[in-house]
Amino acid sequence: MIQLIHVSKQYDQRPALSDVTLEIGKGEFVLLMGPSGAGKSTLLRMLIRADRPDEGQIFVHQKNVTTLKPSDIPYLRRKVGTVFQDFRLLPKKSVFENVALPLLVQGISSADIRRKVTEALRAVGVEHKRDQLPAGLSTGEQQRVCIARAIVNGPVVLLADEPTGNLDPALTAEIIELFKLINARGTTVVVATHDPLVMAQVNRRVLTLSQGRLLPEHRALA
Amino acid sequence: MRTLAYLLRESWVNMRTNRTTTMVAILTTAFTLACVGIFLLLYVNLRAAAGWLQEDIKIMVYLDDRLASDSVTEVEQQLRGDRAVGSLLFISKEQALGEFKTQFPSESHLLEGLGQNPLPASFVVALSPAFRSPDAVKRWAERVRQVTGVSKVDYNQDWIDALATVIRSIELVAIGIGVILSAAAVTIIANTIRLTLFARRDEIAILRLIGATTSFIRIPYLLEGAVLGALGSALSLVMLKFMYELFRQQMRTTGRFAELENLMTFFPPSICLALIAVGLGLGFAGSFVSIRRFGEAKA
Repeated sequence: MIQLIHVSKQYDQRPALSDVTLEIGKGEFVLLMGPSGAGKSTLLRMLIRADRPDEGQIFVHQKNVTTLKPSDIPYLRRKVGTVFQDFRLLPKKSVFENVALPLLVQGISSADIRRKVTEALRAVGVEHKRDQLPAGLSTGEQQRVCIARAIVNGPVVLLADEPTGNLDPALTAEIIELFKLINARGTTVVVATHDPLVMAQVNRRVLTLSQGRLLPEHRALA
Repeated sequence: MRTLAYLLRESWVNMRTNRTTTMVAILTTAFTLACVGIFLLLYVNLRAAAGWLQEDIKIMVYLDDRLASDSVTEVEQQLRGDRAVGSLLFISKEQALGEFKTQFPSESHLLEGLGQNPLPASFVVALSPAFRSPDAVKRWAERVRQVTGVSKVDYNQDWIDALATVIRSIELVAIGIGVILSAAAVTIIANTIRLTLFARRDEIAILRLIGATTSFIRIPYLLEGAVLGALGSALSLVMLKFMYELFRQQMRTTGRFAELENLMTFFPPSICLALIAVGLGLGFAGSFVSIRRFGEAKA
């Protein structure tokens, strides 16, 4: 599902990723661990072509992301759901409107939007908040809405960049459970985090980055 | 359909959110386009005046004194067969003398001293509307001068040329000012849209990440620019109409230019619509310039 081949990236002559080669299969749940500045976010950004590597090739869902035409980038991003640490919800739009946005940009019919948004909100447990503005939600609820928006159009991959960075341990556990549920439905999930709490709750494959280099793999112990 | 409704709603929300900036942009665009409109109105009225004046232009085709009456008929037939000729009036030597005596009674003795009538017979020609432009009149006169039996073709060339020069100058000034002020209008709208883009950069970034295409992101801003331009243009027409009516009222009050006041004309509805469309186009262009420079608006 995801393949990186000898990928390197520098910012201002400082290496962000150095010769990273990895493969993530369909339906896997992978933790991308490492301290701040290890290159986790850079790697995730490259998977949705928000950035390009200086060297190497990246494949997502059999598409070479590195050589993708700019006009094809939106179509890649429709297959890859993204969850952010800071949620990135539109403050002046309701929960429903925020979650509907990925469907709206694809020109999906109103009836389908209603159905899919309701399903996504139900899946993350915030259906009752559909008419509220993000400011009226707790941080955990905002992150759930962000996850609903990421899964509403049934992506093949879900990327989460420090999704529990703003959450307390109880909420972290809830969000990780949500990711497990989404993964159980067949979506490949990649969670970038430096939070040991997350690793403690997930007995899955762990990829560790340190100063832009990929360290030997191990499994997280739940 | 839902997408279109969303894009239209977003444009409306953009304008409502930045109400002050939107109003300032519409007003400055209106004032700028009104300046162009003043020259355009002047140009339209002068063109109309030139049209009326040219309708009155009569061309005198003088005949050779030695021309036999058969040949006069031949010239007349030739002129009548010319599609440029609208109407034709023959003035014989005797009629010409009679007219001279009527118009200049105190000078008539000058001709009597000559013993014979020195005034030539002539045709008074009014050209068809399609042949009344200064260039067409000139070309026609030159052609008729070559006709056998025609001794001279006379018309008020200086007057026609002067009028043509004035109209051309105003046309050039209107185009020059129009181009400069249109560029100003584009810049005003471009800056307004840039402010909106800057204020909504986070939202644009989110749209990019969830798979919105470049056109989906750009359309609300392009629509906003187009609406600003069209509203600015419409307001400029309202301002111009107000100034125009005020000017006419002033002329009526003074009573000196009553005839001129009757001849004055405002833009017909078709031109008004065209000017609103131009405003819309300028607004669209302003938005486009801004969006092109603002990299965030790319998917």
